[in-house]
Amino acid sequence: MSLQTLKVLEAFLENPADSLSGAEVHQRCHLPSGTLYPILLRLEAAGWFVSRWELIDPSKAGRPRRRLYRLTAAGLRQASEVFAGLGRGVLA
Amino acid sequence: MSCERTDDWVDDVVASLVRRAAKRAPAGLSERLQEEWLADLAEQRGHWARLRFALGCSWAINVIVREHIAAGLRPAAVSAAASGQTMRLREDDFPFFTGRTIAFLLIVALHGAVLYGLAMGLGHKFTKIAAVPFVTRVIDRPPTQELPPVPRPQLLTAWYPLPRDLTLPPIEPDPKQTIAATPREPSHDPLPPPAPPVIDRVQGGPGAGFPSTADFYPAASIRLGEGGTAILSACVDGKGHLLSEPTILQSTGSERLDASALRLARAGSGHYRATTENGVPVSACYPFRIRFELRN
Repeated sequence: MSLQTLKVLEAFLENPADSLSGAEVHQRCHLPSGTLYPILLRLEAAGWFVSRWELIDPSKAGRPRRRLYRLTAAGLRQASEVFAGLGRGVLA
Repeated sequence: MSCERTDDWVDDVVASLVRRAAKRAPAGLSERLQEEWLADLAEQRGHWARLRFALGCSWAINVIVREHIAAGLRPAAVSAAASGQTMRLREDDFPFFTGRTIAFLLIVALHGAVLYGLAMGLGHKFTKIAAVPFVTRVIDRPPTQELPPVPRPQLLTAWYPLPRDLTLPPIEPDPKQTIAATPREPSHDPLPPPAPPVIDRVQGGPGAGFPSTADFYPAASIRLGEGGTAILSACVDGKGHLLSEPTILQSTGSERLDASALRLARAGSGHYRATTENGVPVSACYPFRIRFELRN
């Protein structure tokens, strides 16, 4: 697993219940968008993440709706195992 | 006014980049990525951040398309995820070194190799300029001139005739003097004048370690093809050092070459071969030649 993927997982493991948009992960991990989005799609395709559209009315909010990603239960367990294997602790 | 125009122009460009990138996504993913990326683009602050984000999306779509085509497992994975199953991530899906990291390392290694090569003199082979070959010769001794023999001074003798009736008064002997006069022996023939001493004189000249004219050949003269021979006079002590400034006796015809000849003669101080008399080094002045000659 690449270092960049580990950074993305670490951002989600800080608070596994949170849903994060690509822009928020971009700000937390300081990963370029060219690296970030393939990782998000890859993890989503693998079932570690699920994504949904933000529940807002763009005309009222004055901005477009965002795509939000969240760890699945299986993704949380497997990401924790990955970090445990690396000796960086386990997030339950 | 112009700033607003610039902002609009930049926003149009980056939004166009994002849309073009999203259109290249696999079917079913294109509309989602366009909306998602445009929403995330709106959260970027500053022109450069937005431009970097848009360029990143253009890069990301290449990766996404390549993985989608090569693996062909995305629909299966998505359906597996939708059905509550999870699939184990393949190790080769997540290499520790991404393509960009490998490309970056290759570029760094290439730069390192080039710098190492330059430091080890590789560039010298390519920048070496063929020097103009020229031959220099130092003619150390001019042809000796036969000096006419110096006439020996002749003693002048004068004869004064004495009168025949000249009588000299007798000399009264001094009773106090008790010196007995001794008869003088008859004189022999007068001694011949001493022969002039024979001196074996060997004239000096440029000796071992004398600078090469190649080192003093003016670059301008090389370019112009100038050459010539100068005759200089140098006064040198017994140890080969100059006693005074060398002088030009005969010019090369070029002030530049004459000046170089004088510099060469001065630089050679300490490397002159001293004049010897009967094998003993002595101080002396002598002429010698310096020839500047180019070989084609």
